[in-house]
Amino acid sequence: MERWICGICGYVYDEGKEGTPFAALPDSWVCPLCSAPKSAFSPAGAPAQPDAPAAPAKPVEDLKELSAGELSVVCSNLARGCEKQYKDREAALFRELADFFAAGTAPVSDPDPEGLMDRIRRDLEEEYPALSGAAVAASDRGTQRICVWGEKVTRMLDSLLTRYRTEGEDFLQNTQVWVCTVCGFVYVGDAPPEICPVCKVPAWKFEKIEGRV
Amino acid sequence: MAKRMAVRNLRLCTKDCLCLYVCPTGATDTENSIIDTEKCLGCGVCADACPSGAISMVPLEYPPQQKKAEAVVARANVLARSKALQEQTARQLARQAREDGLYRLLTAVTKSVRLVNEDLLREAGYMLPQGAPAHALLQSLVEAPPAGFPVEAARELLARIPCNEPEGKEP
Repeated sequence: MERWICGICGYVYDEGKEGTPFAALPDSWVCPLCSAPKSAFSPAGAPAQPDAPAAPAKPVEDLKELSAGELSVVCSNLARGCEKQYKDREAALFRELADFFAAGTAPVSDPDPEGLMDRIRRDLEEEYPALSGAAVAASDRGTQRICVWGEKVTRMLDSLLTRYRTEGEDFLQNTQVWVCTVCGFVYVGDAPPEICPVCKVPAWKFEKIEGRV
Repeated sequence: MAKRMAVRNLRLCTKDCLCLYVCPTGATDTENSIIDTEKCLGCGVCADACPSGAISMVPLEYPPQQKKAEAVVARANVLARSKALQEQTARQLARQAREDGLYRLLTAVTKSVRLVNEDLLREAGYMLPQGAPAHALLQSLVEAPPAGFPVEAARELLARIPCNEPEGKEP
C-alpha cells in the first residue's frame, strides 16, 4: 500500500484508505483538491522532482535587448510593485508604459495550440531545470521560489490544454475557469479553491474568467 | 520627516475604532476609511492599538534590492522570452477562438503566463521600482524612445521615484 502525493498542492492519495491502487485509476482521474493530472503525482518518499541537470547543454543566448512583449511584462510588474507600496499615480504610469509595449508586441505568425503546448513543455523539460540549477548554484532562494511556483503553474497549463484537446468544449461547459491573481495558477471548477494550491493565498484572490460579452 | 505611513486594510478591519481614539492628528478618521496621508505622522500608535491587525506601517524608503548573479539573470531572460511568446500566442488564439470554453481557457492561459513572467522578471532584477535596473531602463527609454513612446510618463516616474542605489555599472 503506497501513498501518492500531488506535486501541485500536496494532496495525499492513500491507497490503503481509498481501496484502489493508484496505478488502477483511469488516465482521466484528476487530483480531487486542485484538479492536477495523474501524472503530477509521485509516490511518497520519492524525490519531488528529478535533480536539475548540472550543466545545461544549450548555451545561454545573449538577450541584452528586451523585446516589446518582455518590456510590457517588466512594466506591469513594476506597476504591481508600486501598488504594493500604495503609489497609485506611479502604478498608473507604469501601466501606461506596459500598455504601450503590449500594443507594440509583434504578432506570432500562424499561432496554433500545438506550438503553444510544445513551448510550454520545453519550459518544463529544459528551461525550468536550467534556471533552477543556476539558482541553486548561486544560492538564490528567491529564484528557486519562482521556479517552484512557475513550474507548478506551467504543468497545470499543460494539463488543462491537454484535457481540452481530448475532451473539447464538454470539459468547460457549465463550469468556470479561475486564475490566481498572485501566482497565475489556473483552476477549473464551479468555485475557486479555498486556498491557492500553489501560493496559498485565499479564494478571493482568484479571478473568474468571463466569456465574451 | 516620517519614514513610514499607516495604511488600513479594509478586508481585515473589524471597526473596533481604537485607531480613532489614539491617533494624535485625526488621520485615521475619514469618510472613506482610508487613512489621510497628509495628516499621518507615521508614529504607529494606531497599528499598535488595532486588535484586528488591520493597520500596517508602510515604509517610505526601501533598502537596495538583492544583487542577482549574472548566470541566473541570463537564464531567467531566456525563460522570460519564451513566456512572452506564449502569452502573445495564447492571446491571439483566444481572439480566434469560436467556442466559449476555449476562449475562456485561452484567456486564462494569457493571464497566467503574464503573472508567471512578471514574477520571473521581478526576481531577475526588476523587484523594486526604486532599483537601479528599473531606473536604467526608464532612463534609456527617455534618451532613445521608440516611436510613439509616452516619454512624459517615463520622465514623471523618474522624478517621482528616486533611485535607492548607485546607478550605472557595478565596480
